Amino acid sequence: MPPAEQRTGSIYDLGYRRYDGLRLGRQHAVLSLYFYTLRGAFGIGRRASSKIIPIVITVIAFLPALIQLGVAAIVSDEVDVIRPENYFGFVQVPVALFCAAIAPEITGRDMRQRTLSLYFSRALERRDYALAKLAAFATALMVLTLAPQALLLVGNGLASKDLADYVGDNWKDMPRTIISGVGIAAAMGAVALAIAAQTARRAYATIAVVAWFLVTWPISGILVTEVGGAGRAAALLSPFDFVYGATLWVFDVEPDRDSVQDLAEIPLWAYGAAVAAYAAAGTALVIRRFGRIAA
Amino acid sequence: MSAPAPPIAVINVSRWYGNIVAVNDISFALGPGITGLLGPNGAGKSTMLHMLSGFLRPSAGELRVFGESAWENPGMYRRIGLVPEREAVYPFLTGYEFVLLAAQLQRLPNPEEAARRAIAMVELEDAAGRATGGYSKGMKQRVKIAAALVHDPEILLLDEPFNGADPRQRLQMMAMLREMAAQGRTILFSSHILEEVERLAEEVLVIVAGRLAASGDFREIRKLMTDRPHTFNVRSSDNRTLASALVADPSVYGVELQDGLLQVRTGEFAAFTMAIPGVAREAGVSIYELRPTDESLESVFSYLVKR
Amino acid sequence: MNGVLIRLTARQLLGQKRTVLLLLFALVPVLIAVLYRVAGNDEPQRWAASALNARLIIGTFLPLAALVFGTAALGSEFEDGTAVYILSKPIPRQVIVLSKLLVSWLATAGVVLAATLIATSIALWGEPQDGILAGFALAVVAGALVYCALFMWLSVLTSRALIVGLLYVFIWEGVITRLFAGVRFLSVRQYTLGIADAVVDVPARVFNPRLGEMEAMVLAAVATVVTLYLAVRRLRRWEIGEAS
Repeated sequence: MPPAEQRTGSIYDLGYRRYDGLRLGRQHAVLSLYFYTLRGAFGIGRRASSKIIPIVITVIAFLPALIQLGVAAIVSDEVDVIRPENYFGFVQVPVALFCAAIAPEITGRDMRQRTLSLYFSRALERRDYALAKLAAFATALMVLTLAPQALLLVGNGLASKDLADYVGDNWKDMPRTIISGVGIAAAMGAVALAIAAQTARRAYATIAVVAWFLVTWPISGILVTEVGGAGRAAALLSPFDFVYGATLWVFDVEPDRDSVQDLAEIPLWAYGAAVAAYAAAGTALVIRRFGRIAA
Repeated sequence: MSAPAPPIAVINVSRWYGNIVAVNDISFALGPGITGLLGPNGAGKSTMLHMLSGFLRPSAGELRVFGESAWENPGMYRRIGLVPEREAVYPFLTGYEFVLLAAQLQRLPNPEEAARRAIAMVELEDAAGRATGGYSKGMKQRVKIAAALVHDPEILLLDEPFNGADPRQRLQMMAMLREMAAQGRTILFSSHILEEVERLAEEVLVIVAGRLAASGDFREIRKLMTDRPHTFNVRSSDNRTLASALVADPSVYGVELQDGLLQVRTGEFAAFTMAIPGVAREAGVSIYELRPTDESLESVFSYLVKR
Repeated sequence: MNGVLIRLTARQLLGQKRTVLLLLFALVPVLIAVLYRVAGNDEPQRWAASALNARLIIGTFLPLAALVFGTAALGSEFEDGTAVYILSKPIPRQVIVLSKLLVSWLATAGVVLAATLIATSIALWGEPQDGILAGFALAVVAGALVYCALFMWLSVLTSRALIVGLLYVFIWEGVITRLFAGVRFLSVRQYTLGIADAVVDVPARVFNPRLGEMEAMVLAAVATVVTLYLAVRRLRRWEIGEAS
């Protein structure tokens, strides 16, 4: 061994530099995550096979609008225009399928690939992560609830004899359509995401979200239509039923005879309150989940 | 009678994914012994092993295992053992049950005995009764190897087998593979770690960017690369005299004297080693030590990657 | 068939948590039947045939249970990366598919049949059966086989078999088949309802099967054989995915 005084150690300057520039901070991080998640929900920036399913479901949500506009263009006479409140009935199934297919991607990807710790070690806080993911997912759902209606409004307006007249007749529906579309996206999105966030496994998450939509539906149906009494409150249990009730309330329309909302005999505003309550509860659950999860 | 088919024959094989070529026109044949499949990440090692194990169809060319096509031929698995790279196991099975499953699916006459023997070979007896879901990476790797060799295969294909193994396990696994090779088995393993390949493999296949960059004994490969200077360290009775004598030799590029050590650079490996005894004798110098400095696989490899 | 594979698959599919969840799932139709009886409505045969069995069990629970088991039997092996352990063995591919199918079919049929028998018995307690119990019991067992074979093929075809299966059940069978009667030949739900119709003694219009009895049985058999053939063919040419 050489004597001690001959031993030397050196640290070489490899030219690494500290970043002294502007740091965009938490707000920018949240926005980046929001836009990244929103793009990811539709498979944008991912490989082609991840695009197919979100695109197919989105197209299904647009189909009634496209068909109605197509029929109107061919027949050109007075055609029964789809009422905005009825359109929400059409998009419920695609919205549910979108929740089942995409919510597990929104939350599960980072859990499976163990990238949560990378997010939480940045300017982003756990609550920010949860809210950015939730906001992005709800926005993606609004593409399904609102965009077909916007297309329908513009299409029917252009097809009508007098655009100004058409807009004059229908402008009142616009804020109502937007409120309904945002409410559906928020309530279904928040609860679906809260369910999906409980497991990293895609298959389990998908099944659990589907079960929420489909298991509550017949239970609500039978309790309201056959059992009656206190069972009528079950109309607030099934997402399809309470969301449709809320839409009827927003549009100030009476429910169809013998429909769940008709037989339930609960005031329509209660559905609106249910939508708000589900959205709030789902949001709280998502925040709680990501506040506690081991990253 | 024709000669028996070699255990593994790869003939002009290419594989592409869309526009990306993963393996580009590779040919080689392997016989008994240990061969290391070496290359940087993404070079095409796994693609090659997957094609050999019948889990990828070659886009062009042929892969033959004992003369039979490897594609759509489940019968060949009687003679092949496969250790995949992913560390997935059935988490609910114990180590013993996992190896027993492989033995039973191979339809061995005495699967219990075969499973116990395979577990003993990888020295996993103590953990064999525990669920594999709780195994460490090294234990999963070993239980996968036990499952792959439970049916005593003639060919063993291992994809990055030393990942996650600690140094002691690594040594033990290497000793086991050497023993299996000595019994006449054909073993092919992939690795991006030079030290593993250098210590274990008799032969190497170097894959770079989907192409076979070199094959054979890596020292021989090194000798073939004559356009790159070799450096020798020489110790002798009189370095200064030897240095001036060597500079005159046509095979020598340059010499350097430093702290009693003579470094000689040469362009021609064979010519230099033939010439140096004569030069030394004429100069009246005795050589104590002659050592090539860069014969490690690392230098071969980095040379091939850069080329 | 291969006993080792069958036992392995049974352990995979019937892990504790999943079994408990599925039994809860099977309880839902039973609960609904109890609620119906408590409410004490008339025309229980009509309700048991159309609402309980045709809409709820065959329309929702059967395809969902088949989707869970049918895609998991092989699909989870691809997703977890364990498929290589069974594929790197000298077992004919049809044996793998049939063994996996048998377990997923028995699991699906077990859960759904239990729900059908108990829920229908409760709904028709003390009432004439009219062949409803036997007819729908037979139908769900047969339907479970067709659905499992279909979803098993999907799981070899794509990693998103669960979603593709959901789209098939709720868009194709639920919406498109209702709008365009011409595609009823491609609906497992219609095969199942048609088979029930062969035994059930209530007028067909009560639960509205759109295929004749013979048509339904032949198509169910053809669909099972074709999807199984496609699954085996695809598995023979299965390629390992790039590390994802």
